[in-house]
Amino acid sequence: MNYYFAFLKKEFLESIRTYKMLMMLLVFFAFGIMNPLIAKLTPDLLNAITLEGMTITLAEPSAFDSWTQFFKNISQMGVIVMVIVFSGVLGTELSKGTLINMLTKGLSRAAVILSKYTCMAFIWTMSIAISFIVTWGYTVYLFPGDALDNLLFSVFCLWLFGMFLLALLLFTATLVKNNYGCLLITGAVIVVCMLLNVIPPVQKYNPLSLATRNMDLLMNTIEISALYSTIWIAVALSMVFVALSVLIFRKKQL
Amino acid sequence: MMGVLEVKQLYKSFGKREVLCGLDMDIPEHSIFGFVGSNGAGKTTTMKIILGLLKSNSGDITVCGEKVSYGETKTNRHIGYLPDVPEFYGYMRSMEYLKLCGEITGLSKTQMKTKSEELLSLVGLADEKRKIGGFSRGMKQRLGIAQALLGEPELLICDEPTSALDPVGRKEILDILLSIKGKTTVVFSTHILSDVERICDHVAVLHKGRLALYGTLSEIREHHRHNSFTIEFSNREELSLFADCEELKRPSINQSNNGNTITVTVADIKSGGHFLIDLLSKKQMTPVRFEIMEPTLESLFTEVVQ
Repeated sequence: MNYYFAFLKKEFLESIRTYKMLMMLLVFFAFGIMNPLIAKLTPDLLNAITLEGMTITLAEPSAFDSWTQFFKNISQMGVIVMVIVFSGVLGTELSKGTLINMLTKGLSRAAVILSKYTCMAFIWTMSIAISFIVTWGYTVYLFPGDALDNLLFSVFCLWLFGMFLLALLLFTATLVKNNYGCLLITGAVIVVCMLLNVIPPVQKYNPLSLATRNMDLLMNTIEISALYSTIWIAVALSMVFVALSVLIFRKKQL
Repeated sequence: MMGVLEVKQLYKSFGKREVLCGLDMDIPEHSIFGFVGSNGAGKTTTMKIILGLLKSNSGDITVCGEKVSYGETKTNRHIGYLPDVPEFYGYMRSMEYLKLCGEITGLSKTQMKTKSEELLSLVGLADEKRKIGGFSRGMKQRLGIAQALLGEPELLICDEPTSALDPVGRKEILDILLSIKGKTTVVFSTHILSDVERICDHVAVLHKGRLALYGTLSEIREHHRHNSFTIEFSNREELSLFADCEELKRPSINQSNNGNTITVTVADIKSGGHFLIDLLSKKQMTPVRFEIMEPTLESLFTEVVQ
């Protein structure tokens, strides 16, 4: 436990001093501002471009459009930024050899994995929270009076998907030594999830649904309960990945 | 005397390439142990196995009487390790780094503070306020020693601590290692033989996965002495006068000369020495230099490695 807190402190210091935390928070903050703005301005932008004899009529923008932007941006760009920022979480330390010193001092390898996961999870949670709060505030200001269903639950699903990805990323980092391999495998797993999602019965158990069904939740086209099994699977898989990371890392030649 | 580190029949291969084949080593307490070998001889591999970072094919290692197991090993709490190119978190300052190490080693706050300050002044980094990222290689090496000594280990393992340093940096590192002798057993690998001669009391030469030479420096020298004397004269005439002596024309005596110096090999170092001194006084000759030829570590090293 002492190891864990000592190393967790180091992980936070590292995220701050190497600007990882700042980068994540800024990017997600920018998304937060952009989402409602894009929703608000898109019709005006299109109106400004007057094509000959063509008129594009768009429905009056609403809070719904703003949240469409939120879930689209975070589940695509946001997640990609996150994976890239954290892709070197273990690989950099292993290839540079900074971890060797710590491990030969008796630092437990489980503490390394767990503290790294905790730190990543914390930054991801902060980032998505900032983005959510900014989008929410701005949306209420720009589109007052629009109420939406299941908003918090939907954001929770997206957050959980991020947690699942981080566990996957950490797991791949214990399998391969370099950062690119780690990115590649994580990407490949996501692609496989996407392909599997084409088959309707699989959707219910595919963690990817946590990042693709958000608007359906907001529109009430699916019930909250439809995602329960997905949530349990994502939680279970994340735990399995972290546990496997610990087991593999314990027996890794360094 | 119990060995701090004992290695028995250690085997390790990478794929088909055998690096260690039956390495035996026993390192006595409070010695400075020079671990010599050419590049790629397996010095780093041996050290990494001792630290549980690499898995050996077979063999036993004990540190302070405890067996080393691969992976997370408890024996590491007896060991301080300085890797060949120590890498630290570049965004930290040296004090912060030692604090982190201290927390991991399990030192109390007050212990940590006094010990860190003591070590930083020992390695000459006490007034350094820069982040580690801006350190020179020598400074990193010195910080490496400080972090390795933080837990007051019984065994300090240094992997080529002096190889990449300038002469001043090298001297500083060697002085630090020499200054901790008595408190800690030091094992350091190197291929700079003059470093070994300067500070080590025990030497082992690793060659073809085994120890080709092992013992204290004087033991090794004694063992490999060639019963030869070097006698230097002030000029060539005196030399030839001596070399032409009838007394030296015996089958048990060999001689060869080079400039003003003559090398005489005799059957027995003691009686041979007396004989040569007697001969010199009988001929009323005073040499400039008269000495027993000591084998240099370099000549021994090349001898065993070839």
